[in-house]
Amino acid sequence: MANPVPSACCMVLAAVVMVYAQKHSQLDTHVQYERLGADMTMQCGTMDWDAVVTWTANGTDIDESHLNGSHLVLRNVDLTHSGLYACYEGSSWHLKYQTYLKVGTSPKEPVLMCRSNNYPKGFYCSWHLPSPTYIPNAFNITVMHGPRELICEKDAFPKNRCHIRYLQLFSTVKYKVTLTVTNALGRNATTITFDEFAIVKPDPPENVVAKPVSNNPRRLEVRWQNPSSWPDPESFPLKFFLRYRPLILDQWQHVELSDGTSHTITDAYAGKEYIIQVAAKDNDIGTWSDWSVAVHATPWTEEPKHLTTEAQVAETTTTGTSSFMPPPTTKICDLEAIVGSGAVTVSWAEGLVLAAVGVLFI
Amino acid sequence: CDLRRKLVIVFPAGDSWGIFAFLCAALWNLPAIPALNSTDEVGAGQSIQKTYDLTRYLEHQLRTLASTYLNYLGPPFNEPDFNPPRMTRAEMVPSATVDFELWRSLNDNARLAANYRAYTHLLCYLRSMDGQVAKAELRKNLGHFCTSLQGLVVSIASVMSSLGYPLPSPLGSASPTWAQGPGATSPHNDFLKKMDDFWLLKELQTWLWRSAKDFNRLKKKVPPAALMLRLEMRGF
Repeated sequence: MANPVPSACCMVLAAVVMVYAQKHSQLDTHVQYERLGADMTMQCGTMDWDAVVTWTANGTDIDESHLNGSHLVLRNVDLTHSGLYACYEGSSWHLKYQTYLKVGTSPKEPVLMCRSNNYPKGFYCSWHLPSPTYIPNAFNITVMHGPRELICEKDAFPKNRCHIRYLQLFSTVKYKVTLTVTNALGRNATTITFDEFAIVKPDPPENVVAKPVSNNPRRLEVRWQNPSSWPDPESFPLKFFLRYRPLILDQWQHVELSDGTSHTITDAYAGKEYIIQVAAKDNDIGTWSDWSVAVHATPWTEEPKHLTTEAQVAETTTTGTSSFMPPPTTKICDLEAIVGSGAVTVSWAEGLVLAAVGVLFI
Repeated sequence: CDLRRKLVIVFPAGDSWGIFAFLCAALWNLPAIPALNSTDEVGAGQSIQKTYDLTRYLEHQLRTLASTYLNYLGPPFNEPDFNPPRMTRAEMVPSATVDFELWRSLNDNARLAANYRAYTHLLCYLRSMDGQVAKAELRKNLGHFCTSLQGLVVSIASVMSSLGYPLPSPLGSASPTWAQGPGATSPHNDFLKKMDDFWLLKELQTWLWRSAKDFNRLKKKVPPAALMLRLEMRGF
């Protein structure tokens, strides 16, 4: 029977070695950034050039042809080269050096824009890179108003955005915003300058609803709401732009409305499905919002009369009128269509009646 | 001649001499306007609308005038990103810039008075600019603009008087600086003079934007307020 003491000693010794080895394998894992397309050399920590080592990439052994002594040589690196590289001493398989290689580019000039969709409360600036760098980037934004620097508070979401509250209104001094983007391989920056009024652009109107109007085959009633981000429509009223067209045509019709959040279209083609959108703008300053979500609607049509027998169908078709056609527009002079708010389209029939009425009154 | 009716019918700016003559008469007779009756609430409301419309018209006119004038001044004044530091000399013109809460809380009288004072000053400086300009065409355009701007001043005055507010003292406090103002610079200060002109146009543009917002607020508030104010003034 073997002596228990030496085997116990062996076990303790093994444990110590293992702990020591583990401690050593908890090497500082470095991070290394390299430019796309570059040639690079990795050194195995403090090992001599002529030491025998084995390199691995993400756990896979690297062929000796890539080695120059104990240095790993990588040519014309691309994104597939990114990963964890480790260097082991030849015989003992000791981990000598470990690093994350991240291949990327230095940042191109960022794209920066600022906009006030909540005038007169303030404005926000948002930015992005025109092409990815594949490595982490840090953004820094500074806002100058004349000699004064303002703090742009970063938004939680979306991330590349910050906002500023106006302390003063109606400023003659321009705002100057500079965005700097930095990463391990370089930096870049862009600056924009603007007047308070130039960046005002509301969000599109909300809850746009279009409905047919009973007994009116050429009308559609459209209603919408001010964008909820616009804080004070009483003092800073919005005006609106409505566009509509039947689905079958490409040409839009436009109506500009200086107040109110509804409009009745009076010249819709009977029975055709329409697509309608609305945009908003501050009454006096800035630019138009994007178009709202499109809504679809079809004007009211009379219910087709049910036919009782085949014979009756044959009879009605021979007389030339079809019971499936919606009735023609009402002949009664519709003053509302002529005098209503917004765009005015007077059909010739209505015009004739109006002229007749006018003559009567002269 | 019915002065009250004439005050309401200021627009559109038509024959320059006719307007000038009646404006002189209007300004002369302004303090003597007799007691007003209820039709003037409606009158005040319409005057505010017309004043608002005029600020929009002037703002539109100014865009063309300013770009022509800045081209006349030459670079860097006509560069779009030109953003010089504001110099204290330019502080002679009352600034439209105002703290947001303060602007919101202005009462109707203060709001109107601020506009009235600003445009009387601006008109004064614009007129002096007029005298210096070498190009005849530009001088003519400036002249027309001044006439329209004078119309705005009178329009604001008419709103104020129809609401029973006193007119702010005309240019009294500004006289000393005005006397040595933009019109009287030496040739050595040519660049500084151009800077003054630049800031004057900038301030004018900003005021016209601000006035649109000021008159929007007034539009919503005037009729009930006017009635209350006049009842107070008559001691009821």
